[in-house]
Amino acid sequence: MESLLRMSNISKTYPGVKALDQVQLAIKPGEVHALIGENGAGKSTLMKILVGVENPDEGAEIHFAGEKIRLSKPIEATLKGISMIYQDLSLFPNLSVAENICIGTESAAKGYARVKWKPMKARAEKALAELGLKVDVSLPLEKLSIAKQQLVAIARSLVFDSKLIVMDEPTSSLSSGEVEQLYKIIEDLRNRGISIIYISHKLKELFAVADRFTVLRDGKFVGSYDKEDMDEDKLIALMVGREVDVINREENAGGEEVLRVEGLSKKGNFKDISFSLRAGEIVGITGLVGAGRTELAQALFGLNKPDSGQIYVAGKKVNIRTSSDAVKHKMAYIPESRQTQGLFLRQSITDNISVTVFGKMLNKFKLIDRSKEQKLASEYIQILDVRPPIAGMNAGQLSGGNQQKVVIAKWLSTEPRILIIDEPTNGIDIGAKTEIHKLLRRLTNKGIGIIVISSELPEVLAVSDRILVMRRGRISGEIAASEATQEMIMNLAVLGTKAGGSK
Amino acid sequence: MLKLSKEAMLGLVLIALFLLMSIIAPGFLDSYNLSNMMFQLPELGILALGMMVVILTAGIDLSITYTASFSGVIAALCMSHHYPIAVAIGIGIAVALLCGLLNGFFIAIIGVSPILVTLGSMVLFEGVILTITKGNAISGFPDAFGQIGNMSIGPIPLPVIVFLVLAVITATLLNRTIWGRSVYKVGINPVAARFSGLHVKRVLLGVYLFSAFMASIAAIIMISRYNSAKVDLGSSYLLLTVSAAVLGGTEISGGYGKVKGTVYAVAIFQVLSNGLNLLGIPRTVVDILMGVILIAVLTLNYVSAKMSARKSLKVSAG
Amino acid sequence: MKSVFKSKEIGILSVLLFLCIILSVNNPVFLTADNIQDIFKANAILAILAMGMTLVIITGGIDVSVAAITSAATVITGHLMKVLPDSPLSVAAAFAIAILSGLLLGLINGTLIAKTKIPPIVATLGTMSIINGSVLYFTNGVYLNSSNFPKAFIRFADFKIAGISILIYLIALVTLITWYVMKYTMIGRSVFAIGGNPVSAVRAGIHLERTQLFVYGYMGFLAGIAALAQMVYTKSVDPNGMLGFELTVISAVVIGGANILGGNGSVWGTLIGVVLLGVMQNGLILSHVDTYWQKVIVGAVILTAVSYDFLRRKRMESKLLKVEVEA
Repeated sequence: MESLLRMSNISKTYPGVKALDQVQLAIKPGEVHALIGENGAGKSTLMKILVGVENPDEGAEIHFAGEKIRLSKPIEATLKGISMIYQDLSLFPNLSVAENICIGTESAAKGYARVKWKPMKARAEKALAELGLKVDVSLPLEKLSIAKQQLVAIARSLVFDSKLIVMDEPTSSLSSGEVEQLYKIIEDLRNRGISIIYISHKLKELFAVADRFTVLRDGKFVGSYDKEDMDEDKLIALMVGREVDVINREENAGGEEVLRVEGLSKKGNFKDISFSLRAGEIVGITGLVGAGRTELAQALFGLNKPDSGQIYVAGKKVNIRTSSDAVKHKMAYIPESRQTQGLFLRQSITDNISVTVFGKMLNKFKLIDRSKEQKLASEYIQILDVRPPIAGMNAGQLSGGNQQKVVIAKWLSTEPRILIIDEPTNGIDIGAKTEIHKLLRRLTNKGIGIIVISSELPEVLAVSDRILVMRRGRISGEIAASEATQEMIMNLAVLGTKAGGSK
Repeated sequence: MLKLSKEAMLGLVLIALFLLMSIIAPGFLDSYNLSNMMFQLPELGILALGMMVVILTAGIDLSITYTASFSGVIAALCMSHHYPIAVAIGIGIAVALLCGLLNGFFIAIIGVSPILVTLGSMVLFEGVILTITKGNAISGFPDAFGQIGNMSIGPIPLPVIVFLVLAVITATLLNRTIWGRSVYKVGINPVAARFSGLHVKRVLLGVYLFSAFMASIAAIIMISRYNSAKVDLGSSYLLLTVSAAVLGGTEISGGYGKVKGTVYAVAIFQVLSNGLNLLGIPRTVVDILMGVILIAVLTLNYVSAKMSARKSLKVSAG
Repeated sequence: MKSVFKSKEIGILSVLLFLCIILSVNNPVFLTADNIQDIFKANAILAILAMGMTLVIITGGIDVSVAAITSAATVITGHLMKVLPDSPLSVAAAFAIAILSGLLLGLINGTLIAKTKIPPIVATLGTMSIINGSVLYFTNGVYLNSSNFPKAFIRFADFKIAGISILIYLIALVTLITWYVMKYTMIGRSVFAIGGNPVSAVRAGIHLERTQLFVYGYMGFLAGIAALAQMVYTKSVDPNGMLGFELTVISAVVIGGANILGGNGSVWGTLIGVVLLGVMQNGLILSHVDTYWQKVIVGAVILTAVSYDFLRRKRMESKLLKVEVEA
């Protein structure tokens, strides 16, 4: 059958990172096509290129409905019949449901023209009715539950007569009942001949809805497969690949206990979390996106107050209410998003490193001594091999890997006993990744206890001594790294048990 | 190519303007005129420093002039009730700090946007002052108090000395103390600041206390110079303080700005208004010029940023 | 009516009603038709400007040059009227000139903000300084009074329909036009869209720059109308008369429930905000309380209103659960 969409030779280069490398994708009319891969595999970038949010590198070809297209604005894609339902929905909370559905259509009018509320509302109501939803379309969108808002987003694509709908993690904020409903709607859409690209981390879901799969890994095309030829284990194997970068290391049983967590819970974040961390040990925490890992890490660091439970540092019960309390207890937290949470991009490397240790930079008049800062910065630039080794350079001008080194430096300078690092190599080149993994192992020699939070299984396996898997806010299992496999972890993350899910 | 910092450029503009005025404006270099200029400059200058520090955190303090007025009026009342001068000044400063605390409480602790809080507190302070003074001026200060705003040490007026000392203190606070460094960090990226273990709330609270303190010092100089205190004390300076900070290179979205730049901007304003005045050009033209310069500088910033973005795009493409 | 007054407006409306009841119990004069008309007449300029400011604030912007633009429009129109003959056509000419000059100045703001990307507060601060300076430069602060105006204009100013001043009709007209624009035109809806979610707005094909240009242009247009209202009300032109008025305008809009961060605000909320300010002032005068207290109260009202609003929003956000925790 002729493809509805054919994307070929799609590459995308960001400064320092090749996000996509000659990727292809073909979608048939009336199929549900799952696009899968780990974090950073390039799924979102590929979809952004499809709908015109990002421009691909030279040489890309996109054919849609028998026509070669080159989109530069998302609205062009919408008008051509390609709709995207973003993970955050990308709607207007303050506008009415009707407008959220119809904005950009003729019935919503253009420019200074009159908004035809009546036909617009009728149109919106009709589209929602097709999805089996009946609400007052003049209500502001924010009054609706997330599940209903999602239907609004789908209704919007119906109004534009979309032939292809991209759904990015559509179930991330839905309850299981709502998920079932969504499946039914997807089924209906398929029966009407609409194709769907479905992006999700949840394998179970994919097998429930998808007809075909395309797997991406590290920005490269792995393959497209029919559902019949696939099972969960195979899919996991394809997603994670076989090459795990081996780091020479000694098994580390760890020393004294540096951190213990007992029954930590926070409503809507995580529940009943207990574990411990020893000096010189790396504990990996993994699980799907939205399993509550980052929320847990931030709770440990005083950024997200838990409702109940205890935290013990070096055997003593501590009360951590703010991030500075955590720093006092020799904890360090390297957040997920370097650029928005970790760095002051407009300031120099020196300024970024000294921020955590201002107190140590003072001279006898209690004033910050610039030369101490510079000494500190050049010391860490050398230790971590930051390139270029120019202390006065703005953090924003560095590559991802070197930015991460600066964030690590700023926390190493506090001489922490506990280091929590969230997605340590997110958006970092392969070469720099291995370097950072080695660095983490090296730090354990100094007796630092490290918690590595990561969605990338090879990474977790490469650096951890022990692995905790989180699923829906709880720890679903613990595995020693020596006996862990990617399949085992994926099963715990997806299904909650170590055994394989498929028959 | 030689690249000058924003502040160095402003410094050059100031020198050029000073030279230009010396040549074209009759009597510009007269000692009487020079001292006149020096007496006028510190009021705006001190307020502008306070405003600048607030803007560094991406905030704004619309209540700064009424904080000054409030503090001045209370100090004046104390003196008219024969309190010792030092006590009156102390009470005046304390009143300002309370005003700053109020702003800081709403902005730092509760988290309401600075423009709204200070708009509200500005109206509130104005109302309180009016209620206290019934709109009348308060005067009748001891002679010694008048010295503060009017005496000179050698050729340099005392207010200028106060201003320069405060400028040095502000620069030291901003560049060499934990609080000051944190001010910039909060302005650039409040999330990263919190994630780095900084006390963001305390930093913000400190910022509004600082601007209130500067307001009270400016107020003392003003009431001493005018020998009276009234509700509109310094109120014409409000938007000028923002202009001075922005002209001095402080970014309204926070994170960048230097004391030097603000001082230059205030001095440029003073030289311009004094020189044009000597040339017989009305004061209003100075206002117009200030607006034109403000917009021109920002337009230039935009154009040059766009050009350098285009350049870097070409580099990465090529 | 449910859709007209959203819950937020109900809050301030009940404060307003409560205030009105107390005042009418305390002083029988309050509830007389004359007094009520006086309240509206005295606040016509505020109401007109606040309508424009509502749009500006919904986009997440601010305009501190409104008072300056209004002054400029009164000065330009006033000086023109000095030379205009005594004819009804002169009134029409005054309208045209006032509106044109306001619109032009507003579009300058819009261009600086939309095209040159200068932050709204700085751009309008700059234009405010330029406009105020120019007004004072050209007028030397000289006052024009009714003897400078054509008689036709004075007759127009005193004109009443069914015993109601022309000013009240002007408020009603401006409010209705603004309401219509915000509710029934795509550009009005774009204002909300940009304030609600700028990224989605661009994705949905809304022109950010054009919408900003419109918003500041409309603000200027209303400043032109406010200038006329000012001349109708005072029958004079005072180049200094509006200094600092921009902050009152912003206060009214904020009390009316608009979100300074953009996205929310309504014509009716703003109108209630204006009336609340007017009634407070009027009530204090009638109760022989020093008018000085009014500022104290307004300040306290602003602080309370914005903190309440902020805390409410924060509570709503924290209710959104992040992770679906397994029971």
